[in-house]
Amino acid sequence: MFSNQSGDFLGLLDGLPGPDGRVTDAPVSHGDHATELDTHGTTVLAVKYRDGVLNVGDRRATANMAVMFDRAEKVLPLDDYTLIAISGSFARAVEIVRYLKHAFRYYARRELQEMSLDGKVSEVSRAISNNLPMALQGIGAFIPIVSAYDPKTNEGRIFFYDGMGARFETSEFGAAGSGSERIRGAFDYIIRTKKPFREMTLEEALQECLILLDIAADLDAATGGFAKVLPVAKAISRDGIIDIPTEQMRRIVAAIHPREDAGLARPVI
Amino acid sequence: MSFTPYDWNQSIQTRMEYVEERLRDGSPVVGVSIDEGILTVSIHRAQRKVYEVYDRLVFGGVGNQSDIETIRNAAIDFAHREGFQRSPDDVTAHRLVGSVLSPALKKAFGDPFTAPFVFRGLFAELAERREQDQFYALGYDGEFKNDSRYSVVAGSLEAENRMIDLLHANIDRAQDRSSAVRLALEAWATGRIHARRPSYGSKVTEEEEEIEIRTVDQTLREEIAEATVEVGLLDRNTPRESKFRLLRADELQPILAEYR
Repeated sequence: MFSNQSGDFLGLLDGLPGPDGRVTDAPVSHGDHATELDTHGTTVLAVKYRDGVLNVGDRRATANMAVMFDRAEKVLPLDDYTLIAISGSFARAVEIVRYLKHAFRYYARRELQEMSLDGKVSEVSRAISNNLPMALQGIGAFIPIVSAYDPKTNEGRIFFYDGMGARFETSEFGAAGSGSERIRGAFDYIIRTKKPFREMTLEEALQECLILLDIAADLDAATGGFAKVLPVAKAISRDGIIDIPTEQMRRIVAAIHPREDAGLARPVI
Repeated sequence: MSFTPYDWNQSIQTRMEYVEERLRDGSPVVGVSIDEGILTVSIHRAQRKVYEVYDRLVFGGVGNQSDIETIRNAAIDFAHREGFQRSPDDVTAHRLVGSVLSPALKKAFGDPFTAPFVFRGLFAELAERREQDQFYALGYDGEFKNDSRYSVVAGSLEAENRMIDLLHANIDRAQDRSSAVRLALEAWATGRIHARRPSYGSKVTEEEEEIEIRTVDQTLREEIAEATVEVGLLDRNTPRESKFRLLRADELQPILAEYR
């Protein structure tokens, strides 16, 4: 009468038509038009701070040379203690985030226990590698950064991935998207000359991240700046996910660009 | 051997008596809707009674543990499949109970060659406003009823009616979390007492008539001392990803203090 499975959400979807974490039929030929179809998210970054992990992302989504959307949400909660920051193909990323949210909650509700952090980051690997046939065709590739608060060790943790789903854990920071390569060295510079991110307060870490994002927007055409819309920032600590208040963001951004509030052009550097 | 309509009638009657007899000892579940959210209240000795089904759906059941588990899993499967393929907004208690669970239960109950479900389940759905909250009480034969402010499932229909009467007369007392939980516990105890009274289909002997009907207060004191009060909260205003949680012991402590 009723099907009976374990807490495996992918198994539940098996045999059903419609979108899910898998790609069964990758497009076989694309020519030069494929990249125009595919909207991309650009720069997201994650750093540890004293009480957990902070994620910051710009709001721009591009398709080829066009700016598709300037209010994209690229830092998304997967559950109360896990954030995912997405870069690359927006369509696939949003779909897979929906898949992951359901997979984690499905497991927890069925099995009456939370999925382990290791189980969650492996599920992300699986989703990326299932997406590989599409990514190989030149569209649909996406790279996430997963941040979590680990209740076992009482600390924030950051995982990043390659296009095939390999998972790496980083001790200080992670960045993904087109602007991330431009600023990668700057993270190390901050750690060496100021202090490690993990010793910073939320305010200090937020300030550094917003400056880094501003530099990425300067150096990468696909990364949005602060002129029109504030970036998105979320943190995870022992108490769960914190949406950084707009007021706090506005204050820090104003300090980075003192004249922006007046609606004037930025001073020439 | 031939199988006549009379045999069918007889088998349904037998199955009903079989199920009712086994349900009678079950610990009732009470759902009450307040501004803060939906409270689902029960008292258990062994397994948990109140479960999260989906973002805004909660379930509590009376009956055979494995039957409850089967229904719970079927509900979770449907909700997640539908919520992912369409939208979480399309996962409603109305669809879950009306088009998924009820027909399947009815089919199982009417089939003389399978064991019937020993089950009564309460499904509650959280809305934006209290007046829009929905409750569905689903029976082992697939029958269900829909309420908005409160609902119950218990060991017998007689017990459920007594509980509903009590809730109906006193629902204005349920203003906040503490008063709502206390009212729900009173309803729970009422259901417990009446489900255990000999009633359905059996002759009441004089001896049984004399069985002392214990008071609600006395029952609650005894149960709370020996068993665990379980209160699930579907929180209407939480900023968290999960709206559902079980109240912690330190949150229940002040509410239950008067029964200790």
